[in-house]
Amino acid sequence: MKTSRIFTFRGASAVTLFATSAVSALGFIWPFLLKHKQGHPQWIFLIAVPCALLLLFINVSNHELDAKSVALLAVLSALIAALRPMGTGAVGIEPMWFILILAARVFGPSFGFLLGTLSMVLSASITGGFGPWLAYQSFAAGWVGLGVALIPKRLIGRAELFALALYGIIAAEFFGIAMDLQFWPWALGADSQLSYEAGVPLATNFAHFFSYHFLSAMAWDIPRAIFTTTLIFLTGKPVLHTLRRAYTKAAFLNPIEFIERAKEQAVAK
Amino acid sequence: MRKSLHPLTLWIAAIFLAIGVVALDSAYIAIAIVGVVALFVFIRRDGSPWNMSFPLSLRIGATILAIRTVVGVLIGVPIPGRTLFTIPILHLPSWMPGIRIGGAVTLERLSSSLHEGIIIATLIALFGAATSLTSPHKLLRVTPSFIYEIGITLVIATSLFPQLATGVRRIRTAQRLRGIEKVKLGSIALPLLEEALARSLQLAASMDSRGYGVSRKRSRYRPQQWLARDSAFILLTGLLTLVMVAQ
Amino acid sequence: MITFSNVSLLYPHSTKTILEDLSFEIEEGEMVLVMGETGSGKSSLLRLINGLVPHHTGGILAGDISVDGISTRTVKPGALAHLVGIVGQNPLNGFVTDIVEEELAFTMESLNVAPEVMRKRVEEVLDILGLTAIRSRSIATLSGGEQQRVAIGTALVMHPKVLVLDEPTSALDPIAAEEVLSVLHRLVHDLSVTVIIAEHRLERVIQFVDRIIYIQGNGETAIGPAEEILQKADLVPPIIKLARALHLNDIKTSVRDVRRQTEDIRSRDFPNVASSTHAVTPAIIVSDISHSYGAKRALHNASTTIGHGEIVAIMGRNGAGKSTLLHSIVGLHLPDSGSITVNGRNPVTLKGRQRRHAIGYVPQEPSDLLFAQSVGEECAQADSDNQLNSGSTWALLNTLVPNIALHTHPNDLSEGQRLALVLSIVLAANPEVLVLDEPTRGLDYRAKNLFTLALKEYATQSNRPVLLATHDVELVAELADRVLFLAEGEIVADGTTLDVLLSSPAFAPQVAKIMSPKPWLTVSDVVTAMGNSE
Repeated sequence: MKTSRIFTFRGASAVTLFATSAVSALGFIWPFLLKHKQGHPQWIFLIAVPCALLLLFINVSNHELDAKSVALLAVLSALIAALRPMGTGAVGIEPMWFILILAARVFGPSFGFLLGTLSMVLSASITGGFGPWLAYQSFAAGWVGLGVALIPKRLIGRAELFALALYGIIAAEFFGIAMDLQFWPWALGADSQLSYEAGVPLATNFAHFFSYHFLSAMAWDIPRAIFTTTLIFLTGKPVLHTLRRAYTKAAFLNPIEFIERAKEQAVAK
Repeated sequence: MRKSLHPLTLWIAAIFLAIGVVALDSAYIAIAIVGVVALFVFIRRDGSPWNMSFPLSLRIGATILAIRTVVGVLIGVPIPGRTLFTIPILHLPSWMPGIRIGGAVTLERLSSSLHEGIIIATLIALFGAATSLTSPHKLLRVTPSFIYEIGITLVIATSLFPQLATGVRRIRTAQRLRGIEKVKLGSIALPLLEEALARSLQLAASMDSRGYGVSRKRSRYRPQQWLARDSAFILLTGLLTLVMVAQ
Repeated sequence: MITFSNVSLLYPHSTKTILEDLSFEIEEGEMVLVMGETGSGKSSLLRLINGLVPHHTGGILAGDISVDGISTRTVKPGALAHLVGIVGQNPLNGFVTDIVEEELAFTMESLNVAPEVMRKRVEEVLDILGLTAIRSRSIATLSGGEQQRVAIGTALVMHPKVLVLDEPTSALDPIAAEEVLSVLHRLVHDLSVTVIIAEHRLERVIQFVDRIIYIQGNGETAIGPAEEILQKADLVPPIIKLARALHLNDIKTSVRDVRRQTEDIRSRDFPNVASSTHAVTPAIIVSDISHSYGAKRALHNASTTIGHGEIVAIMGRNGAGKSTLLHSIVGLHLPDSGSITVNGRNPVTLKGRQRRHAIGYVPQEPSDLLFAQSVGEECAQADSDNQLNSGSTWALLNTLVPNIALHTHPNDLSEGQRLALVLSIVLAANPEVLVLDEPTRGLDYRAKNLFTLALKEYATQSNRPVLLATHDVELVAELADRVLFLAEGEIVADGTTLDVLLSSPAFAPQVAKIMSPKPWLTVSDVVTAMGNSE
């Protein structure tokens, strides 16, 4: 017998994760896939992506979360939400990413996915910043947490820190692109020079997008990448250490044994 | 004490109105709706911390409006019409697809950008209003049992959040008194993290002791009533939406 | 009701057995105290009762534990919730929602209790614990005593037969502690609930307790009636120390009983010892300060002077303004009116190194100051901050509490060790004034003794003032020269410890209560007086 396992996407929940992620991914890249100018695909996805998120939440809530996972998720997402305001005033200064990435490294990519999503939802509910972007942001943050799975488990010490920092840069840029992708139709509408156009070759749309992205990258993404990476380098080791101690203390998958008498144990040794 | 509405009422109403606003596509009506909503929020606010959501959402909406307008004016596809003023043309390097920044700004171009921005800002304001008047605790109390576990996670996180915020201040104070004047993120984040993690373990033990996860079904204490006034509210907004869509 | 049969416990990643071959039975309606030094396994014992150990924490368990006939081997902790209610050390950390009423309902909701039954039980528990007035309040805004009662309520709501509490009164002022303990007493005597309680501040609990489980330093466990165990225990509350010092035949645990035993002593006359008041030069001067937080007035026209070498205790109920006074003196904020000087300087103007050297502050949560990964690192940091030879802080720590390994993570230390670490770090800066906020929460008697000695040494050897805000009456009796008593933002009493503590029944130490009206606060006072009279 063992104590509970930390939350992991397995079986049916893993399938749901892929399916809902696929729908949400479509929500991000539909401007590149349009063949004909359609009426308001952005509105369709505006409903579809939150529904996908809801579906995922429903699936996860099906007795998959044990008390320890719930408590850790709640506390860490509250922490992330509490640290977010530290960045107001400076664009791109978001302390949430380095905690998300490090926590995903220690507690697992599935946990990281949920942590990213819940932090966004929590942040929105606290600040009232509900907007068409919330479900998109949640998925994107979730993928950042999930993507930590790409870093090999056996890396430790400085190599691990380097890998995490590198991931931090990639993740920051990824999140920036994702946010711009979903914001693109909203911000620019369909009638600016940088807007998407239905039916034109992929290259043209890409070019439009990256010009649009370039401007916001300067402002947000590069500072975010630098900030996150710096934090990972500076505080990565103690934070990882703290998170790992907590993981050990939480006693996931610890053996539970019942023996008859202690004397027997002594004899058996 | 003013009698309260069911937490979902305002949200459903917000969704209805949002559909109506998009369908009607009139900037003036949208602004009028924001005005009415603002008045409503002002009357029904009760000093809770989440009341701040509405002004915040207005600010967010205004920012988006500004961005949209500026972008539209600078790099929008020109719409011929009455020229208001001209911005000097800035030629970009050739690797950026032939974009022309600047040029004549027409009334039509400006109003088109403003129009779209206002619609979006209205949507955000509507949801901001719904957030600001609904207690997150009450809202989470009515979450259906099929998202109970996520719901309870959010309940706990919402309760913890103010306590962590005070924790930041408390630690900062202690550090300052240790003579550490410069606020380093590390020296605050680490004790806070330690404390948060220790709490979570105690919380998990408490939850397990109290029967979390033992029973497959859960009951609900004092289910929130759906009252007549809630139906009336929804009906009213529904009718309004139908009118707007029909235009 | 509860049976432990040959119970031994070993945690998975360690080689040390926590409990060895423990067997006892607890009857229904008993109040049992679990006593032992920090780290002796009290919490593990408590958690064994409802199955948290080993189902939640993992572990190797020998023997059997059964509650009302049900063995904890076979059921998960939650399934025992209707039998065993457990209240952890820090009640605020165990709350799920933020509203009192909903918190009470959470347990029942998880166990799928019908709504009408839930309504009824919530009302019952609100009544029993006196929480009706605060039923819709946000839990974070409640006082410590109220939170503790809500925590007990969440356990009571399932009508358990056993209630287990881990240090329920450590964060409470004496009056709130009394409230909680009398509630527990009522549960035991009116409702026949079996109560198991672990506590360091024995003086508060001892008179309510039927039996004691004493986990000794050498790993052995002694179980028996309170009087019997206390006869031979190492660390005992003042009431027992007094009985031993006076060579009383019977050990009694309540103030009333010991008063009867000591009638003859109190009827004798003792020569008045003139308390030697030597003139002290003022170090901290507080003139007429007032401060408000928004609409709430926290301090009003408070004035006092604290001299060099004095140890002054600031006491009062929670919310009386102790923290505000302390924060004003330490220079965290400028008071709205009035002035404070610490050794001639305005504390608000102090910064960095200067501040460290002028005022040493030990906060309520000592771990707020710690952010290194090991004890060694913290000491090294303190050495370099204060430009000392490396190893100085570590040496200081060793004189306070020996046997701490350098590589231990600060949060793995016991309460007493952590306090010693923070104290070393603060003292490394050689501060001219030492200020402490609630330092003795969670300390056992041994740690408290060491702490008392350390502070006395600091004050007398360097002739520097020590200021501490505390609820711990016994500590004040042992340590403080003067007491400032605050109520509703005003200083209502400012005098010698003897005067102030004797004049307040709720805040009087045990010895004073027993020996009233004689002017004695501690066992040593009594012994000295008796020695002088012979």
